[in-house]
Amino acid sequence: MKAAPIVVATAVAVALVGSYVAFGGTSYEPSPVADPCAPRPARETSGTGERIEVVLLAAADETACTLGVSREELVLALRSVDELDALAEQEDRSRAELEDALRAGLERAVDEAEREGLIGDTSASALGFAAERLPLSLLLSVLRGASSFLD
Amino acid sequence: MSARGRRGLVGLGIALALADSSVVTLALPDILRRFEVEIPEVAWVLTSYNLVLAAAAVPAAYLARRRPVPAFVVGTLVFAAASLACGLASSFELLVGARCGQAIGGALLVCAALDLLTAVDGTDARAVRTWAMAGVLGAALGPAAGGILTETLGWESIFLVQAPLALLTLVAVWRLRVRPVVVPAGRPNVPANLALLLVSGALTAALFLLVLLLVDGWRISPAAAGVIVTVMPAAAIATSRFAERLGSAAVRAASGAILIAGGLAALGVLPGSDWWWTVVPQLAVGVGLGLTLSALTERALAGRSPQVVHGGWTIAARHAGVVVGLLLLTPIFTTALDRNEDRALRAGAAAVLDSDIPPLDKLAVAQDVLAVVRAADREVPDVRVAFEDRPDDEEYRTLEERLVSELDRAVTAAFSRPFLLAALLALAALVPIAVSRKQVSV
Repeated sequence: MKAAPIVVATAVAVALVGSYVAFGGTSYEPSPVADPCAPRPARETSGTGERIEVVLLAAADETACTLGVSREELVLALRSVDELDALAEQEDRSRAELEDALRAGLERAVDEAEREGLIGDTSASALGFAAERLPLSLLLSVLRGASSFLD
Repeated sequence: MSARGRRGLVGLGIALALADSSVVTLALPDILRRFEVEIPEVAWVLTSYNLVLAAAAVPAAYLARRRPVPAFVVGTLVFAAASLACGLASSFELLVGARCGQAIGGALLVCAALDLLTAVDGTDARAVRTWAMAGVLGAALGPAAGGILTETLGWESIFLVQAPLALLTLVAVWRLRVRPVVVPAGRPNVPANLALLLVSGALTAALFLLVLLLVDGWRISPAAAGVIVTVMPAAAIATSRFAERLGSAAVRAASGAILIAGGLAALGVLPGSDWWWTVVPQLAVGVGLGLTLSALTERALAGRSPQVVHGGWTIAARHAGVVVGLLLLTPIFTTALDRNEDRALRAGAAAVLDSDIPPLDKLAVAQDVLAVVRAADREVPDVRVAFEDRPDDEEYRTLEERLVSELDRAVTAAFSRPFLLAALLALAALVPIAVSRKQVSV
């Protein structure tokens, strides 16, 4: 049969692609990023560091929800004032709006954590002071990890 | 000198010149870093060679048909000198310029070689088979040879090794008499050459993108990647031994194009980011390569004279196809890479924030990873760098593996569209193959 090689080649090609699709090779979807406005499951915490982490992540969720971005985008923008400005431009907002949302988010998260007994008076006062009074660049340093001085 | 020895040396010259269309593929990441250029720019090391070869092939064939031996000698000398210039290039512009010189010499050498082989073998048919197979082997073995040389001796050695090898082929023309064919050249076989163009465009994905995926995407060493991609030439060589028994040139060409399309489509839907997923698709592409390129070259030259001019048309078609493939597929790939990298970065940040590493290090890690990604510009970033100065704890190792996996999946997916588009190019070749078959039937 003259066309037999064409039939065999077609069968091999279809079987190869079909088997790869069956093994899961279709399209790429990155691991899902959670909605910052949806409540997250409560986490067991031990030690001041972990409790402060919960507060900071809750603050990131609050702020991201207000701004309509993901928590991850916001966290990556906390690297510097320039990165924050880039996010503001991307979201068509001013730096002042972003700064207000950031401070308000942190204050709400601190109040909530204090109400639930997650952090004590001292940590709550220090974080509250940072949220309300610190200049933006210093506040970003606190959020980036300089918060260890609160231990 | 025996006919066998002359055939081997002329075949070596053809293989060297046509290997150059893909030989630097595995060296591209090193060249990119050496001259600090980006992916779309570094692709010109390949594109310039193929573009000039495509443009120069037919004029070179007209020159070669009148004086085949001098044309072979001049072409070889130009090719060798330009190869040395490539190896010693001090800037990216000089490298690309020298690549153009290589292509001009290569065009003259390859076209003249067809008449030399006819004189050595005595028959057109046998000469065409040797000429076509030498070209297929050169193009297919190129990436592997280039990868091994890049890792062992540096990318410059690819070109520096070529110069003496090219000069060695001149021994083949010692006291060789070739009678020029002076009949007027007829029109080229358009369907067969168009099919060659489309198939060659598709093969660009296999030879260029696959290597980029292995080396730049999955961080496999150039030498190891060179070994991995030898699956294709090995399959092509094995296939060439029994290809003629499978039927007419049109049937072989169509079967090969379908297998190439299947292999490329499978590379477009890879289920994982491990090299062994590429082996079976490479086998399909290699068998298709062995079936198609020789069959289409035979089809393009069948019953046409002078062979050297029509051989020039096939070289022009093949390398124009490579250029089309590079210009079409590279921007699609880089755009997809940028898009997927952004999405992977967000997913990676989520992985860091939800990980078990010490809480106060999370923001720092997330931002270090971001810094690595930004610093990589349009190259594929290596996020492991962000973990180099961090504790060797299980929590950090788990997070590092998760981030690497997230990025690997994003990078692999960025190659998906170009591979699928290349598969369509291979399938599109079925149309001119069918037209060519009807022409023969009539």
